[in-house]
Amino acid sequence: MFDRILEEAPRFFTYYNLIFLGGALLTTFLLTAFGCLLGFLFGFLMAVARGTTGWLLFPIRALAFLITESFRRIPFLVTLFIVFYAFRGTGISWSIFWVALVAVVVIASSFIAEIIRAGLESVHRNQWDAAAAMNMSTIQALRHVILPQAWKVILPPAFSFFVLFIKDTALASQIGLVELTFAGKVLNNRGFSAALVFGTILILYFILSYPMTRFGVWLEARFATSRHR
Amino acid sequence: MGYAINFGQVFEYLPYLAGGAWLSLQIAFLAFCGGLVLGLLGAFAKTFGGPILRRIANAYVVFFTNTPQLVQIYFLFFALPEAGILLSSYVAVLIGMTLNAGAYLTEIQRAGFSSVRQTEMEAAETLGMSRWQQVRYVIVPHIARVLFPPLSNHYILMTLGTSMAAIFGVEELTGRALNVNSETFRSIEVFTITGVMYILVTLIASAILGIAGRALFRAKMRIV
Repeated sequence: MFDRILEEAPRFFTYYNLIFLGGALLTTFLLTAFGCLLGFLFGFLMAVARGTTGWLLFPIRALAFLITESFRRIPFLVTLFIVFYAFRGTGISWSIFWVALVAVVVIASSFIAEIIRAGLESVHRNQWDAAAAMNMSTIQALRHVILPQAWKVILPPAFSFFVLFIKDTALASQIGLVELTFAGKVLNNRGFSAALVFGTILILYFILSYPMTRFGVWLEARFATSRHR
Repeated sequence: MGYAINFGQVFEYLPYLAGGAWLSLQIAFLAFCGGLVLGLLGAFAKTFGGPILRRIANAYVVFFTNTPQLVQIYFLFFALPEAGILLSSYVAVLIGMTLNAGAYLTEIQRAGFSSVRQTEMEAAETLGMSRWQQVRYVIVPHIARVLFPPLSNHYILMTLGTSMAAIFGVEELTGRALNVNSETFRSIEVFTITGVMYILVTLIASAILGIAGRALFRAKMRIV
């Protein structure tokens, strides 16, 4: 195995292969980053929707509950297939990146909604009442009272979810998105040694993921101290 | 345009899909048990091991938690044959999931170990407990109670993770859904039903785990 890797390595690490791998790495990163940013947005809306009261808003609450609770229990691969075939069925011809992005957003928003909900609930109920007593609207209370206290609880787990999801987007290769894993399959099919190709892919994922993991640990440590002060 | 949703044809395959769900649960269970043992070794190495052992355990955890499980299994399945080791797809998936689970469970169990405080041990000693009694009545109940919720959480995540086996041709729930899809071409219906089956399977699993955790270890956990 090792002599084959050594023999093929000069042919493998050529300019065009490296460009190809770099582009694939970028696709993986962008898919995760956009997906989690949009997921954060929708997740926030769903978390707020689940926290509403009153029977008039019941349909919104029920919908948010249904989405968060169900998509957290469906494998990402199956969600990808559902989204992929839904796009095919309705005849909307978006490029495969956007299709994969929709699947990522669906999953990310339902997971992040739970993280944000936990964060919002970590702020004591009295704070809402106090804000209401100051004649603040719900949005004002969120913006000026609840979020400044909650975001320290929200950000570390949300960031570690983002890091976790870098690895899960490997599954998007199954619907044909050319990200890092798919690039590995392409190079392997061109006849390069699988050990060399997938070893390189593993290392590239590691290079992308490890610094962010460290940053997440730092973030958590920093916020944990400031919270107990 | 004009895709007519029709579930009827897919309902005939429900028993077939349910058989796949059973296989999914089996894979998850086997990989989880293997991962639990690996994780226990890793956690012991990280807590009580010397500097070298600790380094090794650390490298294992850092590598496996920072690379995708899918590519790890790809490596086992496609690269190991070059070294003369041929694995069947089922075995490759099982080994890959076990190694991956071991890394995550090392971290979870290490956190559980470190949650036992020194003062707790001193209190047990003050009561005149022997070493064995300390383990039996103080350490194990404490650790079990702290560890049960995150472990069962990871078990549920692993049940979802088994869908990856379909990519290697193992006929578990997602694999069978792919088969049904290529027979009926009712793609949206097939995968929607598959999704609902995953929801049901994991809901049942979390309910059982939740009740067990409360009854056996008085663990604070949300049932479902």
